[in-house]
Amino acid sequence: MYKAICGDHAWEPIPGGIIGGWGSARRKLVGPQVLPSLVVTVSARPDGVVLNWGTTYRVTVLELGLACCGVEVMAALDRLPELGVTPVAGAGEAHVLVVSGTVTDVMLPAVIRSFEAMPEPRYVISVGACSNTGGPYWDSYCVTKGIDQALPVHVAVPGCPPRPEALLEGLKALHGLVNA
Amino acid sequence: MTTTQKTAFGQTVHHVELADWLDVATRHHDDGYVMFDWLGVEDAGRPGAAGQRHAVFLHVIDPRTREGVMLRTELAESDRLPGVAHLWKGARWHEREAAEMFGIAVDDEPEHLLLPDSFQGHPLRKDFVLASRVVRPWPGRLEPGEDNTSAPSRRRTAPPGVPDPTWGPRREEETQ
Amino acid sequence: MTSLPPRTRGVIALLEANCTVCMICARECPDWCIHITSHTEVEQQPGSARPRSRNVLDRFAIDYGQCLYCGICVEVCPFDALHWAPEFGYPGTGSIEGDGAVAELVHERDVLATWVEKVPPPPPLDPAAEAAPETATGTGRRPGSLRGRT
Repeated sequence: MYKAICGDHAWEPIPGGIIGGWGSARRKLVGPQVLPSLVVTVSARPDGVVLNWGTTYRVTVLELGLACCGVEVMAALDRLPELGVTPVAGAGEAHVLVVSGTVTDVMLPAVIRSFEAMPEPRYVISVGACSNTGGPYWDSYCVTKGIDQALPVHVAVPGCPPRPEALLEGLKALHGLVNA
Repeated sequence: MTTTQKTAFGQTVHHVELADWLDVATRHHDDGYVMFDWLGVEDAGRPGAAGQRHAVFLHVIDPRTREGVMLRTELAESDRLPGVAHLWKGARWHEREAAEMFGIAVDDEPEHLLLPDSFQGHPLRKDFVLASRVVRPWPGRLEPGEDNTSAPSRRRTAPPGVPDPTWGPRREEETQ
Repeated sequence: MTSLPPRTRGVIALLEANCTVCMICARECPDWCIHITSHTEVEQQPGSARPRSRNVLDRFAIDYGQCLYCGICVEVCPFDALHWAPEFGYPGTGSIEGDGAVAELVHERDVLATWVEKVPPPPPLDPAAEAAPETATGTGRRPGSLRGRT
């Protein structure tokens, strides 16, 4: 179902990706790179609530599914097609970055480069304990203790992992922040 | 090749001198133990292991008889471990882990892929300190009735899992 | 809204009346995310020979940005002061520049008390289980004792 939404390229193995694997052994590590991933247009209506974003730009979401939280975010995105979602490829069009999962120190440059490739105005939603503060791996030698150490975080969704509905509440909170 | 066997709990471990490591591994590979299971590193603290720092285990299996053999060798601080990745491809990752995480010098120099380039130290060594646990104050150190303002009147308890500084593997000294 | 199963772990509520500041939850939390400070008050109780001292809770905060929702604190509290509530919609919102979103996830005593009304009643016991000893129809012995059943 997820592949049907976003096409094959979104599942390209990336270093330290969702399962933590290194992808193909022949793939050379080329350093920080902008990640092609699912870009989703949110045109509103989670749970019957109509979110009028009131913006002149299309609200697009780039989901960085780094670990287990990525699966919950995928479950949330799974429901958005019936809410009027248009999947688009390419990180350069996203306005909202959803960081979901443990951000390891090796992965951090790639996340920062993805954020820098986004056009203004750009917002960051941090999903789950690992990207909020490092979570259960707060004492690890290779985990960034929260993505807010490197990026501005506008909405932090707590949970380990949070329910998909909790992510939708986070989007609602972002909507409130943007429109306030 | 000097190998001594030690059987415990149904598993036989062949203790191999480091100089014979490659020979013994090659012999087992040629004898049919072509299935690679594990190459692990552990602390070498055991009676009689004076001067040795790490022990390397290699577990390989003969897929025809389904018998496994466990080889064990010990390394001192400056020893180099001969690589066996040319015999079993799967050992490459484990040798990379031994090189980066434990600081063991491996002969065929696996690529540095696991840790960031700027990382200092070898995290899986026993004496590697997790800086976060040192820096962050444990909320449970306060006794009931204490707040953060007063100085502790007695020695505070340590969090569970954080060892006392005197803890650690006792290595026999060379001069004993 | 989806109907959530009983004992869903959404947020932890604090029943302050039950808390004796024993600090067991703060010590057992694997993430070190429960912050408790307290002080001791000494009171002369009428009818007792000497003044009694008791611990008064000053600060009880749970950092939900760190919490891994394991439930160890809820299980280990000897006085049932912590309870699960199925609420999940409490994201932390920072400023428009991106400050303070994660800091908003630290819930202090007053916020934890608001979650208490969301705590559902405990699920009913299995009808085939033996009655609880504290009821009138209970066995009057410790749970699991075999006397009279072998």
